Amino acid sequence: MRVLRGVYEGPGSHGILRVAASMRGVHAVLRAYPGEWGFSALHAAWTRGGEPVPISLSPIRYRPDGPRAPGNLARDLSETARRRPEAQALIFARSEAALLSGEGAPILALPENPQTGQTPKLVTCEWESPNTREVEATDLGLAELVRAHALPQQRSPAPTVNIFGPPVFGPNAAAEIAEVERILNLIGVGVNARVPLGASVEDLSLLPRAWANVVLYRETGESASLYLQDEFGMPRVTTPPVGSAGTGAVLRAVGQICSLEPKKVQRAVWAELARTAKLPWYARLARPETFRGRRVALFGDFTYATGLGYTLAREVGLEVTWAGTYLDNLKNDFLFHAKGTFTNEAFVADDPETVAARVEATAPDLLVGTYLEGEIADTLGIPFLPLCPPTTEHSFAERPLMGYVGSSVLADALDGVLRVPPEPREKPSQEEMTQGIEWTEEALEELEEIPAFLRGRARRLAEEHARALASPEVTPEILEESRS
Amino acid sequence: MTILNESGVPDVVSPLCGLFGLAERLPNALFVVAGTHSDVHLAQSLSGPLAGTPATRPAGNGSGVHPRVVFVALQPDEEPNGGALASRVVEVATGFGTGLVLLVACRSVGLLGVDAGFEAVLAERRLGLPVRAVFPDPDAGGFGVLGTDLEDGAIRALVDLCPQEIPEAEEEVYRPKEGYHPKENLFGKFSFRSRPGRRVPLGTEAHQQVVVVGALPDSQEELASELARIGVKVAGVVPSSEASWLPAIDEGTVVAVADPYLVGACRAAEERGATVVRTLLPIGVDGTARFIQDVAASAGVRTNEADRARQVWEGLEPLRNRIRGRRIFFTGDSGLEIPLARFLAGAGAVVLEVGTPRLEKRFLAAELAALGEDVDVVESPEWRAQLDRIESARPDVVVASPGLYVPLVARGHLCRSSLDFLSLGIHGYGGTRRVLELFVRTFERAERLDALNL
Repeated sequence: MRVLRGVYEGPGSHGILRVAASMRGVHAVLRAYPGEWGFSALHAAWTRGGEPVPISLSPIRYRPDGPRAPGNLARDLSETARRRPEAQALIFARSEAALLSGEGAPILALPENPQTGQTPKLVTCEWESPNTREVEATDLGLAELVRAHALPQQRSPAPTVNIFGPPVFGPNAAAEIAEVERILNLIGVGVNARVPLGASVEDLSLLPRAWANVVLYRETGESASLYLQDEFGMPRVTTPPVGSAGTGAVLRAVGQICSLEPKKVQRAVWAELARTAKLPWYARLARPETFRGRRVALFGDFTYATGLGYTLAREVGLEVTWAGTYLDNLKNDFLFHAKGTFTNEAFVADDPETVAARVEATAPDLLVGTYLEGEIADTLGIPFLPLCPPTTEHSFAERPLMGYVGSSVLADALDGVLRVPPEPREKPSQEEMTQGIEWTEEALEELEEIPAFLRGRARRLAEEHARALASPEVTPEILEESRS
Repeated sequence: MTILNESGVPDVVSPLCGLFGLAERLPNALFVVAGTHSDVHLAQSLSGPLAGTPATRPAGNGSGVHPRVVFVALQPDEEPNGGALASRVVEVATGFGTGLVLLVACRSVGLLGVDAGFEAVLAERRLGLPVRAVFPDPDAGGFGVLGTDLEDGAIRALVDLCPQEIPEAEEEVYRPKEGYHPKENLFGKFSFRSRPGRRVPLGTEAHQQVVVVGALPDSQEELASELARIGVKVAGVVPSSEASWLPAIDEGTVVAVADPYLVGACRAAEERGATVVRTLLPIGVDGTARFIQDVAASAGVRTNEADRARQVWEGLEPLRNRIRGRRIFFTGDSGLEIPLARFLAGAGAVVLEVGTPRLEKRFLAAELAALGEDVDVVESPEWRAQLDRIESARPDVVVASPGLYVPLVARGHLCRSSLDFLSLGIHGYGGTRRVLELFVRTFERAERLDALNL
């Protein structure tokens, strides 16, 4: 039982629903209590366009309204298959409350579609448990769909790859895939399928046509690409194409797998570095003093945290004080990639309060994180870039962070926050933060009672109030008043 | 008027979406949301901006974070001891400075074997503050969930907290704990533990006391002033914008309910012996007039509101002309649909269909009777079938739930989010004007945008 300020990831069912919502021809059936339905609103708010969610709720009811009312899982699944003839696969998800109630995975045969004579495949995610989180479930759910549909194919005559990108709700997902596709075309490699965003069931069956799998987002493409590697012998590239160096590494890896001429790949890379990639240019153009002594703290998922970590440390030359992730299932991978390479301190934390405490303790000059870090950055006045998912900002005009265009986007973002020279600031201890205004003993005791994550804000409000009242010191009464 | 039960799954957003709005309405309350990781995630995500809905969080805050909302996440494989949740609540609430703690216990809390009501009692004893459990997903026999179930639960908790007799000025049942300085207005005005056997004698002010339950502060003031105009004094409102004041609700108190989803709160008041006035809700001119008449009658004042109603209708004539004949479709999500439909149908609009996830026939009997012949009420609609019906009927405006708002706009329908009406203040004569103005604004803007040659 923990007191949390927020959470970074949703439940496992959310991950499976995201995979279904990203794809075409895949319908999800969610087994949950009626009070847990919120995905359609979130999906509408994020995608802001087009089709209603391809998800049906099979509600758990204590007393069904009538003989035909939904609530019977087997009947709901058959009904969904019947009413949605365009769905070629049905994926089944259970909410956390449903799992706690002991709902099991169904074992049944779906009815045949009278028009096409085919039955949709039922993908039951038996591995679902209350401890499975969103990102892990996205990974395993996508792998199950791939496993159910991928068929042995003949390799395409020209070199092609599959792109495993982020699913829906991944920030700028479509733009990132488009950018990676663009640069692959520059070296003469085509794209066979983009998974899962916009993939159809046919695309899944045609996956083994490609020569390799480029995994942009390891969090959700790991299991599927490993399966394809084991089953069909498809090699995979898993380096995140973040920053110019990262993108170059991906292109060279793809070039090697597809037996392309190294010189050709190199020429394409140089052309892009001259034309599109602005990050190396920014790193050389700006004064060295802009980056000297600037400490960056990173917190996010796996791909963006490590990708940005490498980029900021090596290409830009900032010092990465610490890097963290909230993905517990990728802990070992993250620590392996981060610790000792671009930072000396790497950790895993899934409580925003822990991260906020660390930010407060180390006082970085730039914070790159998720939207949940915005609060502490605002309170402490630290320049902040919400580049890592989960994010709340989803613009109509997407700007990728991957690829060469992505490096320019990153250069813009850094320029914006690093242009202002840093103010000399000491580590804010209790006494220093209350500099200028005296705090009485009782007031300090009252302050200690306030939960840690609200203390900074309470402190500032109290001091402002004391200044407004022209009081020489902060008393418990002033503290009380400022909090009402 | 036909009522059809479609036995489908309506698109109703989880009741947790009302959490932050409720935190704003009850400035003296701390909300401790207890649930699993997924409940916390849902509450947090739904507090962010949903398409077409007004923002509920205070400006300058990161989304998902409200100063008076705290989340307690239970691990799915732990077996918490009795009192563990109470300790957490006490830990969180100490030093927060609020006067009330509402423990929002999601369904998973019960599934993990924690009795939220018991934990609330323990926490209350240890903290010395009122702590009540609120269930956003009650076992309503498996019947549909309304998006406003959390509001109902919270207001029900407030009604339970209302004292049962008018306190004497020198009465102080509450003993504040050592070193804690209570706010003067909080503990000077009510004692929240009533003692049995203390009944106020007949003929005093306790009887015929009128308490208004529900509605936003502006609407509450307006209704109170309308009632005061005819000589009925409103003793108090629940919830109050003046954070800590709760009126007495006792046998004989007249409880006037303003919102159609406050069924639980009504039941709590009736258990106390109060009389809940069964009439139309104060939405729309006719509704407000009937409401005032019937509440006054219960309080012992005879009055006829017909003249006032006619006056108001005449004043709203230009707005009525703009919506006359317009076709409106309600997909149904918050529970406000039936009274709104009744009002708009009376004002001259054509209501094609009113979807409602859960129909409280007994509570809304007067509303249903006043609905008119051409209005179809669909209980527990299937949302996909609704989308098809909207396509074939092509209404002028759809009052849609948050999940359907964007797909409908994408298909070219003019939409309004149902959550808009929750924060608009639709009650009273002022509310009538606001609702009509909202629709007129919507139509005007749509006409202007469509007139553009793209």
